[in-house]
Amino acid sequence: MLFGRRHKNPIRIANKAVAEWKYATCGYCSVGCSIEVGVDALGKPVTTRGVGGADVNRGKLCIKGLTQAQIFAAPGRGSVPKVRDRILEDWQRADWDSALDRVADGFKRTQARYGRDAVAVISTGQIMTEEFYTLGKLVRGVIGTNNYDGNTTLCMASAVSGYKRSFGSDGPPGCYGDFEHTQCLLAFGSNLPEQHPIIYWRLKEALEKRKFPVIVVDPRVTMFAQFADIHLPVTPGTDLVLLNSLCHVILEEGLHDEAYIRAHTDGFEDFAETVAEYDPATAANICGIDEDTIRTVARLYGKANAAMAIWTMGINQSTHGSDGVCAINNLNLATGNIGKPGGTSLSITGQCNAMGTREWSSCSGLPGYRQLENPAHRDEVGKFWNVDPEFFPKQRGLFQTDIFPAIETGQIKALWVIGTNPMTSMPNTPRIRKTLQNLDFCVVQDAYEDVETADYAHVFLPASVWAEKEGCFTNTERRVNLTRPVTAPFADSKPDFWIFTSLAKRWPGAAAMNWPHTPEAAFEEMKQLSKGRDRNLDISGMTYEKIEAARGIQWPMREGDDRSCDGQAPRAPRGSPRLYGDGTFAFPDGKARLLALPYVENNERPDEEFPFWLNSGRVVEHFHTRTKTGKVGDCNKHSPTPYMEMNPDAADELGVDQMGYARMVSRRGDAVVMVQRTQRVPKNMVFIPFHFHECVNRLTLGLLDPYSRQPAFKQCAVRIESVDQSDAAEWNRALRTY
Amino acid sequence: MIPLRVDEPDYAKLADATAQTLNRYGNPIQLLPDGDKGVSLRINGDAGIGDNPNRTRQHAFHFTADNCIGCHACEAACSEKNDLPPHLSFRSVGYVEGGTYPDYTRINISMACNHCDDPVCLKGCPTLAYTKHPEYGAVIQDPDICFGCGYCTWVCPYNAPQLDPVAGQVEKCNMCVDRLEVGLKPACVSACVGNALDFGVVENVPERREQTDTSIPGFPDPTITKANIRFQQANPTPHEVTRPDSSPVKYRRNGAGSGFRPVVDPKEGVQRQWNWARLSSRENPLVAFTLAVQAAVGAFATTFVAGQGSALVALTALVLVGLGMAASTAHLGKTLRFYRGFNNLRHSNLSREALATAAFGAATGLYLIADLAGWTRVASALGAAAVVAGVATIFYMVRCYLIPARPFWNHWQTTTSFVGASLALGGWIGLALAPGWSPLLCWAIVAGLALEIAGLIGQSRDMRAAEHEGAVSHHVQTTTFGQVYRLRNALLLGNLILVGALTVAGVTQPAPWLVAALLCLGSATVGRALFYVVVVPTTMPGAFFWKNKGFEEHARDIGLAANPAVGVAPTDH
Repeated sequence: MLFGRRHKNPIRIANKAVAEWKYATCGYCSVGCSIEVGVDALGKPVTTRGVGGADVNRGKLCIKGLTQAQIFAAPGRGSVPKVRDRILEDWQRADWDSALDRVADGFKRTQARYGRDAVAVISTGQIMTEEFYTLGKLVRGVIGTNNYDGNTTLCMASAVSGYKRSFGSDGPPGCYGDFEHTQCLLAFGSNLPEQHPIIYWRLKEALEKRKFPVIVVDPRVTMFAQFADIHLPVTPGTDLVLLNSLCHVILEEGLHDEAYIRAHTDGFEDFAETVAEYDPATAANICGIDEDTIRTVARLYGKANAAMAIWTMGINQSTHGSDGVCAINNLNLATGNIGKPGGTSLSITGQCNAMGTREWSSCSGLPGYRQLENPAHRDEVGKFWNVDPEFFPKQRGLFQTDIFPAIETGQIKALWVIGTNPMTSMPNTPRIRKTLQNLDFCVVQDAYEDVETADYAHVFLPASVWAEKEGCFTNTERRVNLTRPVTAPFADSKPDFWIFTSLAKRWPGAAAMNWPHTPEAAFEEMKQLSKGRDRNLDISGMTYEKIEAARGIQWPMREGDDRSCDGQAPRAPRGSPRLYGDGTFAFPDGKARLLALPYVENNERPDEEFPFWLNSGRVVEHFHTRTKTGKVGDCNKHSPTPYMEMNPDAADELGVDQMGYARMVSRRGDAVVMVQRTQRVPKNMVFIPFHFHECVNRLTLGLLDPYSRQPAFKQCAVRIESVDQSDAAEWNRALRTY
Repeated sequence: MIPLRVDEPDYAKLADATAQTLNRYGNPIQLLPDGDKGVSLRINGDAGIGDNPNRTRQHAFHFTADNCIGCHACEAACSEKNDLPPHLSFRSVGYVEGGTYPDYTRINISMACNHCDDPVCLKGCPTLAYTKHPEYGAVIQDPDICFGCGYCTWVCPYNAPQLDPVAGQVEKCNMCVDRLEVGLKPACVSACVGNALDFGVVENVPERREQTDTSIPGFPDPTITKANIRFQQANPTPHEVTRPDSSPVKYRRNGAGSGFRPVVDPKEGVQRQWNWARLSSRENPLVAFTLAVQAAVGAFATTFVAGQGSALVALTALVLVGLGMAASTAHLGKTLRFYRGFNNLRHSNLSREALATAAFGAATGLYLIADLAGWTRVASALGAAAVVAGVATIFYMVRCYLIPARPFWNHWQTTTSFVGASLALGGWIGLALAPGWSPLLCWAIVAGLALEIAGLIGQSRDMRAAEHEGAVSHHVQTTTFGQVYRLRNALLLGNLILVGALTVAGVTQPAPWLVAALLCLGSATVGRALFYVVVVPTTMPGAFFWKNKGFEEHARDIGLAANPAVGVAPTDH
């Protein structure tokens, strides 16, 4: 010792006594980190760590991943099935058999009385791909309703729609490795350090090795915006104007890639005609970015040998979200920046398996990016499943955001909600509350029984969570990664896979179909459906073993891609990092579409009565509606109650104090939040994290995008009123009680 | 030794190829003679010695403030590794912010223990719970020794030791010495997602970094403890940065362009308020302890010196010391470990204060016995010994509060206040209980009150002009508690005039003296409570919720703290 006791006790450092590390893929966001869960000698998960050799996260995890072992035995987990006749009655405990009987009877009764489509199913981006596939088989092949969608409509629908409109198919064409090759990165409405910390780290690593310009478009000064070389504080909801103007400058100054446009795109004339109207001077008046800066950014992007654009909800959650995605694709197609290292349109997805549901759940069509509108696809899947193709609808049904109005108007009478919480996540909570009361029959299937939507359920099915189950997630760079069952399901909860398969048996039609007993067997079945030279979504070269060994494999990974032939190295042992590298796109003519995207202003804007923009978004410590992170103290303590960022100049005028409560009012309703005064937001804007129940979505309008039907969560108008501080505090406490 | 995994990434591995000889404070970086590999740290009883080649060199965190994104991964990794309850954290991320939209800058600061060359926590700790090891230079605290007095949390300028009000003990960063032994960087560093945190032999510049500064906005003066933390902060900073927590401090760039200094940020306005309820704090037992012991020492010493020593006064002093010791013991997180308070006489003023107080109590007790037995000469000797011990008690009591990390206390006013309270309160007790009326006792009271007033005037003058947290304390004293402060000052001054007049006039009727005595006790109690609640330490900035005293109080008030996931201990006692 230098100073201190001569006779010391041994140094005591916590030892969690991990007996075994088990492989999984993180169950929070779409980054797709490989994670090992440490279990003790009794098999109880005690801690987690990032997998060192995994390409995605290279040993790192964010705060949510690091604390994820705590979600298994968290308060509020559903332990047994529960039933009740009316929502005002108390719950009765039930066994699985009778609960599933009740679900099947409820759906059958509703369909018999009101027609097949009177039952709606709203799924999630949280469960395993094999479970999505099985659910799709059950809904499309057995139950037969066409009103089946996932909560991805709230987050990624615009990206899906934009990819389909530009490239002919969904599927992000780039990967995180593109950071190491790009010469310019343009980020729209994406706050990587907070939303996707590990992707941010990959970017930071690339930047520290080789500096390249980073431009961030965001109305708020996020840490990402602060660290950017150029920050464009755009007027909310006007990204499309900025993008059209960037293309305007690029075409005007001849910075576009004519050869690429000629060889690989269609629609240049209409596109050029439209962007011609968006000269920087005109655009500056709408989007709030000055003319010179627009030109500077356009030149930077246009002159880079490889440039990439990433985006998240700032683009997707807007009335022109799909157009915004197409405009980003336009920019990259015009500059020849698709499918090459460092040149891409990379949407940064939200949920751990948003991609899995897009690929395999049959929500918007049939499995494997097949379409209901395509008779060949209906035939193919019908034969494969042993279902009469005529049983399939001929076009896709309602999106999640259209299902609720259909419940409101009485077309839909029964609803099955799986792993999502529309009571908190849908815009205009007051309207959703009234809507759910209209249901004759509602089933909520979730890992947490305190999920707010369960207030309106007649049956609650307790699902197992994340690594209590086995199966795959696909991340935002098309990487399929595996989760092994780490621990036994909590109490009497069951894997969603088991629930879907067991429920299917309640319909006679299911008997003729194949229902694999394990997720792995389902994966093998999906592989058969994925095969085909013209199909990008080909997973036939993957197995569970290969996925785990490679720490995730990017599709397409065709059978044999990892085999060496003639002494050559295997083509793609870890799958394919990029799509469309050869300039062949998924439209029948192989060409991508340059689209004419005129800006239409149709959203609510601040006015005299409601003078503030309301912006919303994530914070790093919480995930979605907090059913998980709200109970993990090391996450929740960083924002245990809802708050809003408000500009101090505006707060002074209204007499609003730091840490005081304020009442927000919109044309939909009101919400009480704590005030955090900060110059991070402009004087006419407030920002509220979206995670909290009875908060931001009591205010949002959520006007829908015409293509993707995704709500414009991020732009609406509010005013701010003072509120009795002790009443507000009491209300706040009551709403945070689990 | 903890097992290494085969795919451990390089960024998690220590990589110091070279080391300098002396650090910037002039201390050697190599902590043991060449060839001495140190001893086993016996981590969880393991007798092994790690093969880290830099095992006996001082290590330090390096923090690139330019890069921190405030993602909390470091905190989560630390809490996860150390298995901490949510209300506790060895590492915390706070931030300061400045500028005007969109020219806005937020600087996140992640801070744990700085494993200082001169660990004031160790020197302050009365139980010897701390050790500065020559292995890595790690300062490690042993919760099994600690009795939860929280004194280390007062003296540390960086909030490193964490007092857990639930477990009743302090815990802190252990530098992840178990990881260092196998060549790995600490868990927080390995988890960092912004490439902000690094770790290695002190003064080494990490890969891809240029600076090894010791200051960033919001970070206290590192020379107080010779902190082993190095910073890079090259991005432009705003002229002034504010804290999101309730602490009424902000930081303004010095004119010369280097460094920031704390200035008052009047978050609760400049209104003079009463706030009686907020005068009560977790330090209430210390208000009782200090006043009781000072009164006891004063009573015994003044009467003894005035030749008015008596068994009754001695008994009263003894009772007061007993009550005071009981109060200070009640203040401990683990009361049954009170006897460990004498463990660190070599360094800790708190140990010395405890010993002096015990000695004073013992001498007074023996004096009482001798006096009752009529052994006059023995009693005189014991009385003199008690006076000496009493003076030592007050001396070390003052020293306990002369803490650089608490600039408001680190002022001669602490001396005048403690000595003044001794004379005034002691004088009253003497007047009431001594066998005869002594004008000397009256003058003791006058002197005590005058000393107190002189100290307050001096402190007010110095704190107003100060460029440290003392100015902030004075601001809190004159705004949040402004009315209480004025009332106390008026009482003191009024009392001085009254007692002075009574003394000069030679009044001996009890009634006016009793009124003055009650006023004096009142002002002393209020004054001492103020002394504890207005002190603003040189803390690290907190965040809006986490490490925000204002939010913690609010969460307790409205009942949110009942949910453990809120991360606020339901009580701060």
